[in-house]
Amino acid sequence: MLQDDDDANSSSETDSIDQNPNPNPTTSIDQSLDAIEGQLTSISLHSIPPIPQIISALPSDSHSQLQQATVAQNLEYIDTLPSDSHSQVEQVVESPGEVDMERGVVDNSVSRGQGVLWRNNSDVDVDVEGQGSPSSSGYAGGKGTSSSSSGISGSGIEEISGDDEVDRVEVVNRSASFGASVDSEWLPGKRHVNEDDASVSWRKRKKHFFILSHSGKPIYSRYGDEHRLAGFSATLQAIISFVENGGDRVKLVRAGKHQVVFLVKGPIYLVCISCTEEPHESLSEQLELLYGQMILILTKSINRCFEKNAKFDMTPLLGGTDAVFSSLIHSFSWNPATFLHAYSCLPLAYATRQAAGAILQDVAESGVLFAILMCKHKVISLVGAQKASLHPDDMLLLANFVMSSESFRTSESFSPICLPRYNPMAFLYTYVYYLDADTYLMLLTANPDAFHRLKDWRIRIEMVLLKSNVLNEAQRSMVDGGMHVEDLPVNPSPLSGSLSSHLGQPRPPLDSTDGCKTLLGGPAGLWHFIYRSIYLDQYVSSEFSSPVNTPKQQKRLFRAYQKLYTSMHDRELGPHKTQFRRDNNYVLLCWVTQDFELYAAFDPLADKVCFLL
Amino acid sequence: MGCASSLPDRTQGPGLLNNSDSSGALDPKNLKVKLVLLGDSGVGKSCIVLRFVRGQFDPSSKVTVGASFLSQTIALQDSTTVKFEIWDTAGQERYAALAPLYYRGAAIAVVVYDITNPDSFNKAQYWVKELQKHGSPDIVMALVGNKADLHEKREIQVQEGIDYAEKNGMFFIETSAKTADNINQLFEEIAKRLPRPSTSS
Ligand SMILES: Nc1nc2c(ncn2[C@@H]2O[C@H](COP(=O)(O)OP(=O)(O)OP(=O)(O)O)[C@@H](O)[C@H]2O)c(=O)[nH]1
Ligand SMILES: [Mg+2]
Repeated sequence: MLQDDDDANSSSETDSIDQNPNPNPTTSIDQSLDAIEGQLTSISLHSIPPIPQIISALPSDSHSQLQQATVAQNLEYIDTLPSDSHSQVEQVVESPGEVDMERGVVDNSVSRGQGVLWRNNSDVDVDVEGQGSPSSSGYAGGKGTSSSSSGISGSGIEEISGDDEVDRVEVVNRSASFGASVDSEWLPGKRHVNEDDASVSWRKRKKHFFILSHSGKPIYSRYGDEHRLAGFSATLQAIISFVENGGDRVKLVRAGKHQVVFLVKGPIYLVCISCTEEPHESLSEQLELLYGQMILILTKSINRCFEKNAKFDMTPLLGGTDAVFSSLIHSFSWNPATFLHAYSCLPLAYATRQAAGAILQDVAESGVLFAILMCKHKVISLVGAQKASLHPDDMLLLANFVMSSESFRTSESFSPICLPRYNPMAFLYTYVYYLDADTYLMLLTANPDAFHRLKDWRIRIEMVLLKSNVLNEAQRSMVDGGMHVEDLPVNPSPLSGSLSSHLGQPRPPLDSTDGCKTLLGGPAGLWHFIYRSIYLDQYVSSEFSSPVNTPKQQKRLFRAYQKLYTSMHDRELGPHKTQFRRDNNYVLLCWVTQDFELYAAFDPLADKVCFLL
Repeated sequence: MGCASSLPDRTQGPGLLNNSDSSGALDPKNLKVKLVLLGDSGVGKSCIVLRFVRGQFDPSSKVTVGASFLSQTIALQDSTTVKFEIWDTAGQERYAALAPLYYRGAAIAVVVYDITNPDSFNKAQYWVKELQKHGSPDIVMALVGNKADLHEKREIQVQEGIDYAEKNGMFFIETSAKTADNINQLFEEIAKRLPRPSTSS
């Protein structure tokens, strides 16, 4: 239900502009921001009171009184598995026929919640000890080192430790706000190419991603050179086919601190090995996105290559795309869009966005399928031709592809791109042009001969944007950032004094006389929030501010939201409305209605100080 | 070079672009031509273009996606100007099937290889054959051995390039996008070899 946004046009018209035959996105974006503003005001007015009650009723053993998802408890149970328990493998298998995993167009919620997951310790027995996999030996001598070709064997897994240092790349340089300026310092691209499964450093990496073919040929590996991982790949393939032959499908294997998550997409297998403690549902969705990214580059017609030749080697077809995959994987640890399935808009004044939307609207009416103007990861304006809707996941993958392919910055380009949710079988042609260092225009069409027309359109668009000062406003908005929790009204009475920073106006000064000032963050100890509008496929998050200001803290909060999202969307446990969690770091609130989802983090000590006021 | 022969019907002229700007298309003093670069990934196509168009060389590799479009106008000694509308295609294998989209209607094809890389020389020959089969019949073709500055790593001798080009009626030159050696010459020589839409004779 929550995710039935396949049909919801992200640029769909709202009631107020029904007479307009064409979708007008600018209205929805601004309405969204207004709605959020209203929502936040009302939260700070009305919704905070329940928190102190619950929090005060929260001696450490009272979890059951809260609407705490039991999933979380399951996860905790998993986390407390003895770390040496690599032999105690726990599996979640999926029975065949329940799910059609091939449907690349299914909604993510489907892939997450399909049917029933059950834990099965006996029926299906994955051999994680030793070299039991039937075909691994065939490849072992090839390129991998024979001693380690059993890759996923007990020893292999055990040696991957949660060494923070090794995963440094992921931890450093998180941007100041989810989805805003992504660290210019983080450079996409493959690292540690010289590693293979015999390297200690390789084994210590916290989160591995692999793509391989059903014949066991490596296609992509986050770390290390694909070809040197042939033996390891063959082992993964052996596990998957071993279980599949038994009529089941492996979805998850747990081994000590590690989760191994599998996703089968026809002839393509995707695997994530992680000790990051993310919910396996999240990892599984990340694999979906990874697959989507591959489809965006190649279309699903690559499956035909495997029909002709089962041993087809796909790596050459992905040449030069390491940066695309690595930056997507990087975004799994900072970009909320990767689990929210929504996109975020750049805060802009109404008139500014209106100007951008109007010209894009003209383009869309002239036969362009989608016209998208973005500033880094944030949308300035998006217009689709009639009936065409752009799925937020496609948007994420498209933006990731464009931003991580450096060559788009040097000159205008016209490139084939497939939108997996729109049509996984066919290429669209995308005109890409950077208007300045951060702002880029994408015009998508099905017509391969449209380049010169699109180029002419771009020239017109650029003129309009310059005339209406859109690019400068966008730059300013990037610098100012989005909403700041400090700006939320502290005192319930002045409803008028509202968030106006998204309109590009100066922020009101902090009320220094207020008692809450002693707290960091916003009113009532609010540290951070994310608001997601279900119908608009959009979300807004506040900027990070003290005390959530180190990359490490930001990543921790990100992971906490991710966990919260997963438990709120658990199919087995039914839809939840609210959830409170408290740990040493924050009190987390999640509130889900038909229209929106709100995730917020509060100061764990806030009840003592501010709620009493 | 057979292409030096005059063209009685200039609308047949290969890719003399008159689609987007019909007003000046027939001006014999101001030519506008579509040029496509083909060749293996990493041989330096984008570097050649950026050197020619912007006078820059950026050693960091930026694999082209699909194709980039750039243009540059040069003046010849006989006071004609030639505006090159350049399609810098991606050499990655997955884009090979889409190449016709970019070379269709091109007046000029520049096929590039890397003198330090024999595979890229084979790939260049593949492109020449493909263009002979499917390109405009009057297409002017140039064979370019790039990265000439890396002579200590040379694998393809100059003579091999000359011989292959001669056999296939192509113009041949070795260039270095890094040092700018022969980059402008490449485009000037091509411009001179273009069929003129109307000769004043
Ligand atoms: N030494 C030397 N290096 C060069 C020269 N030209 C290009 N390179 C290097 O070769 C690499 C690839 O150059 P590109 O221009 O990106 O190659 P390309 O042919 O456009 O590759 P694709 O876009 O993938 O088809 C770059 O990293 C350059 O540094 C040259 O003349 N000399
Ligand atoms: Mg290039």
